[in-house]
Amino acid sequence: MVSIKRVAALAALTMVGLSACGGTDSGSPAVPGESKKSDVISGVPVAAVADILPGSTMEKIKQRGELIVGGSLDAPLLSQQNPVSGEIEGFDADMGKALAKYIIGEPKVKIVNSASETREALLANGTVDVVFQTYTITPERAKQVAFAGPYYSSGLTLAVRKGTTGIAKPEDLNGKTVIAGANTPAIPAIEKLAPKAKIVTFGSDPECMQALKQERGDVYVQDETLLIANAQKDPSVQLVGKPFTTDPYGIGLKHGDEDFKKFVNGWLTKIQGDGNWQKIWKNSIGTIVPGEATPPEIGSVPGS
Amino acid sequence: MSAFLDHLPQFWQGLVVTLQLTAASFAGAAVVGLVITALRVSPVRVLRGIGTAYVETFQNLPLLVLLVLAVFGLPEIGVKAGLLETAIVVIALYEAAYLAEALRSGVNAVAAGQGEAARALGLTFSQSLRHVVLPQALRTVIQPIGNIFIALTMNTSLAAAVGVVELTATANRVNLLEAQPIPIFVGAGLAYALIAACAGFVTGRLERRLVMIR
Repeated sequence: MVSIKRVAALAALTMVGLSACGGTDSGSPAVPGESKKSDVISGVPVAAVADILPGSTMEKIKQRGELIVGGSLDAPLLSQQNPVSGEIEGFDADMGKALAKYIIGEPKVKIVNSASETREALLANGTVDVVFQTYTITPERAKQVAFAGPYYSSGLTLAVRKGTTGIAKPEDLNGKTVIAGANTPAIPAIEKLAPKAKIVTFGSDPECMQALKQERGDVYVQDETLLIANAQKDPSVQLVGKPFTTDPYGIGLKHGDEDFKKFVNGWLTKIQGDGNWQKIWKNSIGTIVPGEATPPEIGSVPGS
Repeated sequence: MSAFLDHLPQFWQGLVVTLQLTAASFAGAAVVGLVITALRVSPVRVLRGIGTAYVETFQNLPLLVLLVLAVFGLPEIGVKAGLLETAIVVIALYEAAYLAEALRSGVNAVAAGQGEAARALGLTFSQSLRHVVLPQALRTVIQPIGNIFIALTMNTSLAAAVGVVELTATANRVNLLEAQPIPIFVGAGLAYALIAACAGFVTGRLERRLVMIR
């Protein structure tokens, strides 16, 4: 009897804990912007048989019948797992599917949840074939991995609570408390432009937004796309100024695999030329950002 | 290894925060744990119930859940403290449950005759606990407490998830710049290992010095 009582008490406790959890998160729905059911992949090209060189990485992937992608499951608009369908949606996710279709003929991908501290190692030891994860191309990183692309270019900007004054540009952050996502390029960017800013980091975007609203910091620095989506959902937050960085995102590949890099760059050129890149953008980031986007020039940044 | 050595001042700062977290939350856990132990062995049924409920609650909820709840949930009901302070309190309350269980096993290890003798001498419950039972109980649980201390040190790394820039968060930040995860995290790991080794050394010494010769 005692054990049954104990189990019941436990269950009750757990439920209290869970409902409390739900309470804190209720301000932020998991998926910003309606994601249209993606048929964007249906039109993307498939590589010619001659392009799949014998003995190459492409051939290995084709034989396996699945492209293994290092990516996120929690990046809204880019690569986020839909809690209802289990599908991974967004710009990065669709790009991965499009590449899989180009190599294999079918959009079959397996996403390995990687993080900024593991992706170099995952590529080096062959756990993943490619990384699509807002992977900013830098010369330091290019010493350890190869970058195809850039396939997208974005920038960081500032968000504040409505009514905040005195913050107009990144230099104004000196002496302020700045919220940033852990493991985002925002941290080194702030350290460079405002060395006297105090940076607090939280794991996910909803946590950062919550922290901004709870006045744990004066400003939240994040990718502009994400912040636009946040400000649309939440009128108590507003964006300040224009993006102050340019972050060219690359497709991470194993270091030294020149054939594969050439192959992926060739694929990027193709989908940028035939309008598929634009279609994938419209279906994800384009649901939030108005207008048209132009893809960055391939190989245009140091490290790519 | 240069990726680690170039950022030594940052790592030092992170290590200091980790040590602050560890020391402050262990002190808090010791006080709360002692109180919970007293509740759990008390002759009053209600108090025993409270002690059991505390231990069951904190042992059955993951620390990360508690941290996120405290950092983001409490401000919703108007309770807001600094991130470091919140993390210290939460880790202290969480580890207190484990500490209380270790202490209780020590109390149980003290022969029943000791408590009976103390009562026969006219000591009250708290007197017998303070002068007879706890001093003997503590000696038998030095190693388990040392283990809890080490576990607590490692658990402080979860504070990185709620914005406290301790050793793990520092390693993350440096890695973002250098993209050299292996030397950076090995370096941070060595710092944790050093703290654990010190704790092991101290508990070993204490155990030998305080050993009871019957």
